[in-house]
Amino acid sequence: MWPLLVFIAAVMVVVAAQIVLSHFLGQRHRERATGEPYESGIVSEGSARLRFSATFYLVAMLFVIFDLEAVYIFSWVISFRELGWSGYFKIFVFIAILLASLVYLWRIGALEAGPPKRRLREAEVK
Amino acid sequence: MTEAQFVALSPLILVGLAALVVMLAASFKRSNGLALGLTLAGFAASLVSLAWAAKVAPVQVTPLILIDRLALFYLGLVFLTGAAVALLGHGYFEKRAGYRDEFYMLLLMATLGAGVLVATTHFAALFIGLELLTISLYALVGYTRTEPRSLEAGLKYLVLATVSTSFLLFGVALLYAELGTMEFGKMVDLIRQGGHRETLVNGAIALVGIGIGFKLALVPLHMWTPDVYEGAPAPVTAFVATVSKGAMTAVLLRLYLLVGGAIPDSVMTLLSVIAILSMFVGNLLALLQDNVKRILAYSSIAHLGYLLVAFIAGGNFAPEAVTYYLIAYMATSLGTFGMVSVISGREREAEELRDYAGLFWRRPFEAGVFAAMLMSLAGIPLTAGFIGKFYLLAAGVDMGAWVLLGSVVINSALGLFYYLRIVASMYAAETSAKPGAAAREVALLGSATLAALALCLIWLGVFPAGLITLIRSAVLGV
Amino acid sequence: MTSVPMDHGLLLAGLLFAVGLAGVLVRRNILYVLMSLEIMMNSAALAFVVAGARWSQPDGQIVFIFIVTVAAAEVAVGLALVYQMFKRMKTLDADAASLMRG
Repeated sequence: MWPLLVFIAAVMVVVAAQIVLSHFLGQRHRERATGEPYESGIVSEGSARLRFSATFYLVAMLFVIFDLEAVYIFSWVISFRELGWSGYFKIFVFIAILLASLVYLWRIGALEAGPPKRRLREAEVK
Repeated sequence: MTEAQFVALSPLILVGLAALVVMLAASFKRSNGLALGLTLAGFAASLVSLAWAAKVAPVQVTPLILIDRLALFYLGLVFLTGAAVALLGHGYFEKRAGYRDEFYMLLLMATLGAGVLVATTHFAALFIGLELLTISLYALVGYTRTEPRSLEAGLKYLVLATVSTSFLLFGVALLYAELGTMEFGKMVDLIRQGGHRETLVNGAIALVGIGIGFKLALVPLHMWTPDVYEGAPAPVTAFVATVSKGAMTAVLLRLYLLVGGAIPDSVMTLLSVIAILSMFVGNLLALLQDNVKRILAYSSIAHLGYLLVAFIAGGNFAPEAVTYYLIAYMATSLGTFGMVSVISGREREAEELRDYAGLFWRRPFEAGVFAAMLMSLAGIPLTAGFIGKFYLLAAGVDMGAWVLLGSVVINSALGLFYYLRIVASMYAAETSAKPGAAAREVALLGSATLAALALCLIWLGVFPAGLITLIRSAVLGV
Repeated sequence: MTSVPMDHGLLLAGLLFAVGLAGVLVRRNILYVLMSLEIMMNSAALAFVVAGARWSQPDGQIVFIFIVTVAAAEVAVGLALVYQMFKRMKTLDADAASLMRG
């Protein structure tokens, strides 16, 4: 335990020393581009906090969900031989359910890249 | 999977299949009637398959799920309630714009989750069932997305329910770390044998208790109830009040039967305090409300308090008393929230007390049914609610739990006051200042469902023997 | 090298749980609340893995996968609700979205 504590203390001291010393010894300047993210590169354009289209959210969400389903398929694959036919049928049902939900997503227009077609359908329902 | 196991699981499989079929049907042809038909067919098929499964019960399907008579009984209860909610939802969503088919799909999935809950003997399956139920419920509570209150209720429910689930999970994780198993039976045995860190186990059980208590909306974990009940579409409120609480009660009952009544006195005292608080807080706050959905929400908190009394004071009677009380409570809650959804108009729900003014003169049939439901909630004789309360009191006298009994009696009187307030406003003359939200058109299916429920309530109130025999064979068969 | 004792793992999970809970209680931006919920769920999942390692059973890891899946589904629904709310109320402040009494 002791060496670890000494090490932590040493790290603290070194880091603190670096910050304090550079504060007193280092030079300071304040030019036109000092505050920019790339002081000597491309001038950045606009704010980083721009709003993304909600379609991206949908795609991201679909990715997260279907991505996780892959975990189950992988864990089946690992024990493929032990599970035999019974396991095969179970994963078959699982994938069939996934396919069914994919069909649903396709039909309601969740997979469309742009909004127009979906808007049309929504208008129909209303 | 052997054939017997497949047969035993068939009620659950059929409901899951129905959800899938409704989803596929919705992707090709959007129709409220078609979706309702498929949903009802699914529920009917799984109800029929219950009889099929009863022949092979009890069957343990993997360590996760046990289909015994208790599970079958509660599955029947859950599926019937789900079907009733589907019928109520048909009329309700017919009046409103937006997608309708997904309601049935989510409803079926939530019911499937509840079905898994009532049949589980393992914490992993409990978690899966619980989450299937609650995640579907988040979407259902926030279903009318044009209504900000519905969205707000959905978000609130999501945040609070996830916190409570995390507590439950963490508790289970600690128990698993200490005991090395997640099966209910083995855990109870190991805890009884002792030889592990008491404080850790007790703390873990308390965490699990928080998760369960939240679902049942017992004080002090009741804060979400009024908001969620108010914001959710009325048929969904009916579902939250009945199926999700009923399924959790079944889990509690299963644990109770496993422990075999050997609960330490300190725990009993704590539960008594919670029960008394739930009754008083629910009833007293209900007195202050003008919104019918909120009144009913607080009343449901109080009713879960009564239900807890049945657990505490029931002794050997407990499983029977709890189940009977739960059925009476579920039928009446379904009826009252169903009534709110049936008489709601196009623009908004009939939730203010003044929306009900003069209802009796405009729609005598609905008003009569509503009054019968409220009487049953209050526990007036000749209704199912009375028999439920009678069970409670009889069990309590048997055990000599006088403090609890006293609170039950005082609270019944308190409850009567606000139930009668609703009834009185229905018979009052209509205030012509503002046209109420009540719908002019009649939802035929919804009204028929409610009439059937009302008949059921009175039938159970007058001739309870049949149901009692059924309950006995279910709970004693464990 | 000796393995990490179980209690250390549980302690870490407990601390994470506390961090998540504090986040849910303190944060007002609903997105951060959702993130804190995620931390809470995952701390429980970590506790399951630690517990499973103690008994050398796969059960802990199976529950872990369940929890991760469920958390993803929850976030999907949660974000959909947040998205709809933002569309109607133009705010992510949890306090602003409080139309109901109590």
